Amino acid sequence: MSRSQDSTPSWPTATAAGTGLREGRVLGRDIKRVDGPAKATGRAGYGHDQRPANLVFAQFLCSTTPNAEFTLDLAPALAVDGVVDAMAVAEGKTVHLGQPIAAVAAVSPQAAAEGVRALAQHGLEVTVLPHAISIEQAMAEGAPAVRRSGNVGRVRSSDEGDVEAGKQEALDAGGVVLTRTYEVPVQHHACLETHGMVVDYSGGEEATIWASVQGTFAMHDGPPEYLELDPSVVHGRVEHMGGGFGSKFGVGVEGRVACQLSKRLGRPVHLFMDRETEFHAAGNRSGNRVTVTAAMAPDGRITAMESDSLRLGGLSGGSYAGLPYVYTVANSKSAMRSVHTHTDGNRAMRAPGHPQASFGMEGILDELAYANGVDPLTARLANLPEDEWNGVWRRQLERVAREIGWYEHEHRTAPGPHEVVGANEVVVGIGFGLSVWGGGGSRGNEVELRVDRDGRVSVAVGTQDLGTGARTLVSAITAEEFGLDTGQVSESIGSTRLGRGNMSGGSVTTASLAPAVKDAAHKMSVVLLAKAAEATGVDVAELAFAEGGRVTGGGVDIAWKDLCSRLAATGETTHGSWVRELQDSGVHGAQAAKVAVDLVTGHVEVLEMVCMQDIGFVLNHLAAKSQVQGAMVQSLSYALFEERLIDADLGLALNPNFESYKLANSTTIPPMKVLFDPEDERGVIGIGEPPAIPGAAAIAGAVHNACGLRLASLPLTPDKVLMGLEELRARG
Amino acid sequence: MSNQRSGDRGLSRRDFLRGGVAVGLGSAAIGAPADAAQDRSDDSTGESGRARRTKGKTEIVLRINGSDRRVEVEPRTSLLSALRDFASPPLTGTKLVCDGGNCGACTVHVDGRPAAACMLLALDAVGHELRTIEGLGTPEEMSPLQQSFCDHDGMMCGFCTPGMIMSLTAELDRNPKANEEQLRAACAGNLCRCGTYPQVFEAALSVAKGGAR
Repeated sequence: MSRSQDSTPSWPTATAAGTGLREGRVLGRDIKRVDGPAKATGRAGYGHDQRPANLVFAQFLCSTTPNAEFTLDLAPALAVDGVVDAMAVAEGKTVHLGQPIAAVAAVSPQAAAEGVRALAQHGLEVTVLPHAISIEQAMAEGAPAVRRSGNVGRVRSSDEGDVEAGKQEALDAGGVVLTRTYEVPVQHHACLETHGMVVDYSGGEEATIWASVQGTFAMHDGPPEYLELDPSVVHGRVEHMGGGFGSKFGVGVEGRVACQLSKRLGRPVHLFMDRETEFHAAGNRSGNRVTVTAAMAPDGRITAMESDSLRLGGLSGGSYAGLPYVYTVANSKSAMRSVHTHTDGNRAMRAPGHPQASFGMEGILDELAYANGVDPLTARLANLPEDEWNGVWRRQLERVAREIGWYEHEHRTAPGPHEVVGANEVVVGIGFGLSVWGGGGSRGNEVELRVDRDGRVSVAVGTQDLGTGARTLVSAITAEEFGLDTGQVSESIGSTRLGRGNMSGGSVTTASLAPAVKDAAHKMSVVLLAKAAEATGVDVAELAFAEGGRVTGGGVDIAWKDLCSRLAATGETTHGSWVRELQDSGVHGAQAAKVAVDLVTGHVEVLEMVCMQDIGFVLNHLAAKSQVQGAMVQSLSYALFEERLIDADLGLALNPNFESYKLANSTTIPPMKVLFDPEDERGVIGIGEPPAIPGAAAIAGAVHNACGLRLASLPLTPDKVLMGLEELRARG
Repeated sequence: MSNQRSGDRGLSRRDFLRGGVAVGLGSAAIGAPADAAQDRSDDSTGESGRARRTKGKTEIVLRINGSDRRVEVEPRTSLLSALRDFASPPLTGTKLVCDGGNCGACTVHVDGRPAAACMLLALDAVGHELRTIEGLGTPEEMSPLQQSFCDHDGMMCGFCTPGMIMSLTAELDRNPKANEEQLRAACAGNLCRCGTYPQVFEAALSVAKGGAR
């Protein structure tokens, strides 16, 4: 609750007794999601749920081969009862498995599916061409060209210090040099609401689109041209959306086709991908293979690192944060290339490139540490960057180590046994990982705040809520300013008719949005306190908002309703935009995982995970904790279960469904602890990406610590564990 | 998988017909689903001697959240599609995610037991008491579990939430003092991509312990 004399808005500065973290009356506490009741009762309207009158349902026919030429006859689809339209989406050639070839629109989803089947069976002639699915196929001599520029992208390299001297330094000191290859598979975003939208255009002056996208205003990028309408009459809406994780920045091919069908038919069109299409035509986290040679001195310092990595982004370039990751290595050399395959292009996914790099970095660090007889925590502390963040990571690492029981753990400088000793078929291990991310905001949100004469408060901005709690913070920041509750503020988001909002991606939302809302609220408080001063004759410097929207100070106490009744008939409106000083950038985190490895079955169970993270001022503890835990769950899922499988010889998708593409479920979730760093005094920073980075590497490290088995690839499935243990036993 | 499929319950043709009569449908309405039911076991002519019907629309009455609702469906229409695409007004709280019984997002109650609405034909649901998320509580008057989901932040994007709540409600109805293991088992068939499981367990446990009542 700010005072009018404050020339600039600021976040609450009081400190909570238990945690040492800053808190306000509303902010800095557990704030319940304002759309919780709508979501919990099934009333929240997602794009998938929109049912305008006269709606038709559309579906894609997709390529079942990676590389092919085809001819298409739409007649078989049009002959199906209930089908109202069909159109080609690709022209004569498909270049990736699952590529949309055609779309069929019908009066029911069943008729649309039947139309798609009819096309597949009777309307499609396919000439299968040679394909490249695996790295080996793509890099082979005479491989079919995936992109005109070739199957291997340009090398991006870096070179610092003297790698050979670094290796020699370690060896001279009695250290070790190791070479290892680490691989991570392609992971799917697996948004529960698939990509798609409902386009309601009946040929008139206006169109409405409800899309499942990460940026409301993405609906003005493409659809106006497809519909041949001015953006001002294309109303994009995304009040709720069922998950994006980086894959839903634009309206995509589904947006183009939905608009075109709607325009052709003069009817609203519902086009949401079916689950199988979603798996192969809606993006993914790129896979990666890195070969790394590194040297460590007996004191735990990595003295040299040389890496060669291949990014597997299908038709796109893939992403990889590069080695060394987070840790500082004085002498390092890296080369990075993308290898293209006949699979759909990767898209951003929660900290693009970082979990991949983390898996290799933490992996080689553990291997070098144990080879030197150094414990992995000491080795991590020995390689932290010598910059201002050194102390942050240090205290985070030490804290998560303490929380997870590292200091009492049996196997620290050497891993536990890979043989069953006595009756001990299950061995327990602990692993660690670090993360880094930006999370700062930028200009772009335009917030409008209005207070009416009857005391109603409404705040509006076109931004979207991916489930992060963006909607709630719009309401909560406004409520905090006047001493109100979130229930007394009505917020509107998710519409192109409201003020501009940034896209949500790269953890930029909170640091972009929160300052703009705060700015509008602060400006309003200045206006309202001036009114109070004018009415009471008390110096405005003495007045401030107190609980319930009362204005107190200088011996006066004015109720919110009374204050608002003094406003003009039109009420008061303020506009907020981004304030750099209210946010910051650059976050750091450490995670620890404890696992149990069954030496007989190869089963890995995660027993516990701990995360410590700095994110500046924590606006909403409930939502921030959910966000971090959610990222940890996704990391666990990446570590143990997820892998896109394609038969490289046949070019056949093997697991485009939730039956065989496994996600973590309720039976695999360990207790999770989330700690926010109380020494972080900065403004708000985004939290979406960083906690999604180190979990998988920490789990792999825990398996290593438990039984000496460093699995070189994710996921850590029982078959790999058993084969790895077999090799360890053979080596003796 | 915790979700009871219709097959587990042995929804026989006889049950189905009895159910049809019990809700007092006219003979024409009973006749069409009966034909569809026969298709699964009989050849081109059923016991009644009438021609086999695998296509075409049929008006059925579904008992949803305590009210009878007339819905025009085809024999191939799933209960999920009937709710979302054919009921008027549509009941879209029940979500379509995988359409293959793998994710639990479309969980509804059939005679009090959880079932994946995507794995059940609308015709087979005739005569059964159906409950969807819309029948549990309203935003103004939520069920204890719905309230607890809000209190513990048992949701993020919210797309799995109706299914989660239906699975856990069925468990808590059957076993009001369910422990964490039982609650985890009850929602083992419900996938959440945002990873809200820890908060979901807290929310459900709190109700089992009487916390949110």
